[in-house]
Amino acid sequence: MATLSWTAAGAGWQAQRSRAFAFGLAPSLAVLLVITLVPAAALLVGSLTPLSLTDPAATFRFDDPLVNYRHLLEDGRFLDSIGTQLKLSVASVALQLGVGLGLALLLDGRSRILQASRTAFLIPMVLPPIVVALIWKILYTPDISPMHRALEAIGLPVHSLIANADTALWAIAVADTWQWFPFTMLMVLAALQTLPADPVEAASLDGASRWQLFRYIVLPHIRPVLVVCGLFRLIDSFKAFPLIYVLTDGGPGTVTEVTNYYGFIQAFNFSYWGYGSAIAVVILAGVFLLSWGVGKLGWNSHEHPGH
Amino acid sequence: MNHTDQGIGRRRLLAAGAALGAGALLPGRAPAQGGAKKYQGVTLNVSTFSAAYPKLLQQWLPEFEQLSGARVNFDAPSFPIYNQRADLELSTHGAAYDVVNVTFIYSSRWIGSGWLTPLDDYIRNPNLTPSDFDLQDFLPGALAPESGADGKLYGIPWTAEALLSVSSRFDLVQQAGLAYPETTDDLVKVLRAVNRKERVAGFVSDSHYGWTFVPYLHAFGGDVFRKAPDDLFPTLDTPEAVAAADYYANLLREFGPDGAITYQPDQVTQALKQGRVNFSDAGQLHLAQLGDPASSRTIGTLKFGQVPKGPAGRFPGTSVHGLGIPAGSKNKEAAWAFIQWALSKKTTARAVAAGYGSPARRSDIDSQAYRTRQVINGSDLARLALDSIEQASKSGHMKYRTVAVYPQVDQQLNKAIALIASGQAGAKQAMQQAQAQSIAELKRSGLSL
Repeated sequence: MATLSWTAAGAGWQAQRSRAFAFGLAPSLAVLLVITLVPAAALLVGSLTPLSLTDPAATFRFDDPLVNYRHLLEDGRFLDSIGTQLKLSVASVALQLGVGLGLALLLDGRSRILQASRTAFLIPMVLPPIVVALIWKILYTPDISPMHRALEAIGLPVHSLIANADTALWAIAVADTWQWFPFTMLMVLAALQTLPADPVEAASLDGASRWQLFRYIVLPHIRPVLVVCGLFRLIDSFKAFPLIYVLTDGGPGTVTEVTNYYGFIQAFNFSYWGYGSAIAVVILAGVFLLSWGVGKLGWNSHEHPGH
Repeated sequence: MNHTDQGIGRRRLLAAGAALGAGALLPGRAPAQGGAKKYQGVTLNVSTFSAAYPKLLQQWLPEFEQLSGARVNFDAPSFPIYNQRADLELSTHGAAYDVVNVTFIYSSRWIGSGWLTPLDDYIRNPNLTPSDFDLQDFLPGALAPESGADGKLYGIPWTAEALLSVSSRFDLVQQAGLAYPETTDDLVKVLRAVNRKERVAGFVSDSHYGWTFVPYLHAFGGDVFRKAPDDLFPTLDTPEAVAAADYYANLLREFGPDGAITYQPDQVTQALKQGRVNFSDAGQLHLAQLGDPASSRTIGTLKFGQVPKGPAGRFPGTSVHGLGIPAGSKNKEAAWAFIQWALSKKTTARAVAAGYGSPARRSDIDSQAYRTRQVINGSDLARLALDSIEQASKSGHMKYRTVAVYPQVDQQLNKAIALIASGQAGAKQAMQQAQAQSIAELKRSGLSL
């Protein structure tokens, strides 16, 4: 009996605690709901209509809610834009991870020169995206570009990289890498500073080479950080906009037109908000799926690969 | 030091001029009556794209503010940025802007969708508009695109310009023993003779090909739509259109500078001013800047002409931009006071005297000040533009441009020419693709084709 009343009292106390937590969390949840879920729901609702801002009254209707999604399946430009998006995302994220990791390994030390270099390498990341785009617009415009002039001076003239269909996407990937490799560099540097000295020292005494030290001790230690960086940058790469807007406008032709940019054209150049919303919903679903897939790969486990 | 003194002197002179001329410049009784400042406390948000006339207005704003009492925020971003921003703002019936530029390509879309305010009642009201505003002084061809299907006027034009041809290094053409190219065949002959001479590329144009390419499309006997504005079925894959696209993309590919397909209007103007590119087609607004002795290195070698004739004739592009009031504005009366100040006879004449190159008032176009300034190195830019505008109003070939769905087709033309010029597709394939995508876009807009 005593046990029962104690259990009931405990349950009551726990319920009270849960209610107090819920009460405390309620304002935050309400704000979260308003600023994230409501716009997302509006996007989804909009995507089920042929809404055009030139005639919103007549086009905000739900008589054929899947019309936009059916059109997307037949829209060659949209389907091509997905391929372009994947190419750009994979190329720029791989480059950012490679360059960021390489520089972090080179700059991992305590000297003043290395500290100053680390600070200098962070500059691209803190510049506003439109400024980055303008810097690269100058670099990629042969008439005014110091890069083109220097290459010409040493007898290696290069044609405009953003006007050439074979190089335009790579030119954007390089500019994007320049802006965002510091993010990976910073994260990896932080991880390297938590690397315990003992295993490295022990392996060195056992005769491990620098490559073996990196492969079997450093890389397993920083791998979770690299995965997080990759995932962050991958998700962010789907939002690529200012570089494409300023450098190529999606061209030449549609060779740099990523899905995000195509959605922008449909919504803001042509006022097809329903269709633009459907494109945005597809991007949203794609990013969710991709994040989930990357998580499922198990790369973010802290366990040793042997386990 | 001397330079600074001159600067101060100029500022003093401007200030004195402003004080003296302000009363006369402010039209009639509109903004200030009986000494009271009628729009005291009102803040007007004005937005246009960046161009010569808005820049002059920005300089003279303090005069309007002083006399009307209104405060004016004047925003003038680049052409594409302005259009996107204004299109979005107008479509939501927002009150962010009180005065906007009515962009030619969007005029039908904005007017037809009810996003602008009819100006007829303001013009007719003698308390708001003095008789010397004289609406009839504006070119009829410039007022037409600012009018709706309901016959009402939605914008007052500040520019009526034509797409003209230019050779910045005509001396090279003369050295080759050739004349200014009159036809599309002549143009290729001349370009073959002068291309890369003295490191000057032959030809470039603004990558907005939905504007720069269309005179060639017409010249080859093609068109954008079957018969705008009544039959809007696109006609981008006809043999004539394919031939025109092939011809034009080849001009860029064979004679263009490195990266020709990425050139924006300002880049084209700079390339012509510096003599890095010889031939181009550009709006008169941009070409008039080539006559600036302070910044143009080619002022002594340039020559202007009309866009070349093709097998079907000559079809110069024309364009009109005006100032209008958004339907969502909360300061419409003050906005109208601003527009009539900005486009009063006195203000436009003052702009012409300051070197403005493409006015829309007949009195300005006929003025001696304007005609004298528009003769640059012996080429009469004003005459060429007037002839082009007259020709366009007779033939009606510009009707394609103000239909509400043209922005969608315009973009397909931009893509098609870039695809051909960059070697990604043949002319036939690119134009067939443009046709198919234009049809899809127009159907999405609700048109039954």
